[in-house]
Amino acid sequence: MRRLGQFIEIIVGAVFLWSGIAKLLDPSAFLSAILTYEVFSYKVSVIASLGVPYLELCVGACLVFRVIIVGARLLAVVLLVLFIILLSQAAMRGLDVDCGCFGSSTKSSESGFFWPIARDVIMLIGIGLGIVAGVNANGSREK
Amino acid sequence: MKSVREACVISVVTGLCGLIAFFAHPKAPAFHVDELEVELEEVLRFEEAFWIDARSDEEFEKGHLEGALSLNEERWEEQIVDFLDAWNPDAPTVVYCSSQACLRSHEVAERLKAELGVENIFVLKGGWEKLAEVEIVERATQ
Repeated sequence: MRRLGQFIEIIVGAVFLWSGIAKLLDPSAFLSAILTYEVFSYKVSVIASLGVPYLELCVGACLVFRVIIVGARLLAVVLLVLFIILLSQAAMRGLDVDCGCFGSSTKSSESGFFWPIARDVIMLIGIGLGIVAGVNANGSREK
Repeated sequence: MKSVREACVISVVTGLCGLIAFFAHPKAPAFHVDELEVELEEVLRFEEAFWIDARSDEEFEKGHLEGALSLNEERWEEQIVDFLDAWNPDAPTVVYCSSQACLRSHEVAERLKAELGVENIFVLKGGWEKLAEVEIVERATQ
C-alpha cells in the first residue's frame, strides 16, 4: 500500500512538473488563460501567471524526489482544489474558457470541462491515497 | 504543524522564483498594461480613429471592423509595411484583439510605441467581443 501511494504521488508530481514547465515557457499565454476565467483582476493574474508555474514546479519536484513531502502534499491539495473550483465555476457560468492547464491555448468549451476536472479529481485522489498510506520522504509512517 | 511549516518553505521559494522571473524572464507579462486601455464609448467620441486588428489572420478573414488593418505578431514584418503606408499619425490608433482576456492588442500597441514611436495609441477594452456586443460589427466586412 505504501509503495503504491509513493508511486501515485510520483506520477502526480511528474504531472505538476510537466504543467509547471509548460506554463513557464510562455507566461503570457498562461496569463491570457487566467484572464478568460474572469475571476481575478489583471494584476492578480500577472502574479499568478508567474507564481503558479513555480509553485507547481516546486510541489512536483518535492513529490517526485520525496523531499519536504508533507508540505508538498498540502500545497498539491490546495492547488488541485483551487483548479477544480475555477473550472467548475467556469463550467457553471458557461464561459468560453482557455483551460491553460498545460500552457496550451485550447478552449475548454470545445473539449468540455469534464476531462480537466476529472484529471484534477484523479490527482486529488492520488494525493489522498499517498496521505492515507502515510508515505513520507524517509519512508516512515505519519501520524 | 509540520505540513504548514513545510508548505510555507515551499511558498517562500516559489515567491522568490516568481519575483526573479518577473524581472528576468524574457516573456514575463507587464504589470501595467491597462494604462493604454480605452473604453469603446470614449473611442466613439474620437473624430476619427485608425483601427488595428491584432487577431490572427484566420479571425481577421472571418470578420473585422471596416477599415481596420490587420497587424499581428505572426506576420509583423510583412504587415508593418502596409501599416506604414496606411497609418495616419494625426488620428488616434486603436488596437483590438478578440476579448478582454487576450493580450495580443497590448503586445502590438507596445511594439508600435517602442519601435515606431507611435504615441497616440490605445488598446480597446473588451476587444472584438465588445464591438460585437454593441453591434458595431455590423460594419464588419465578412
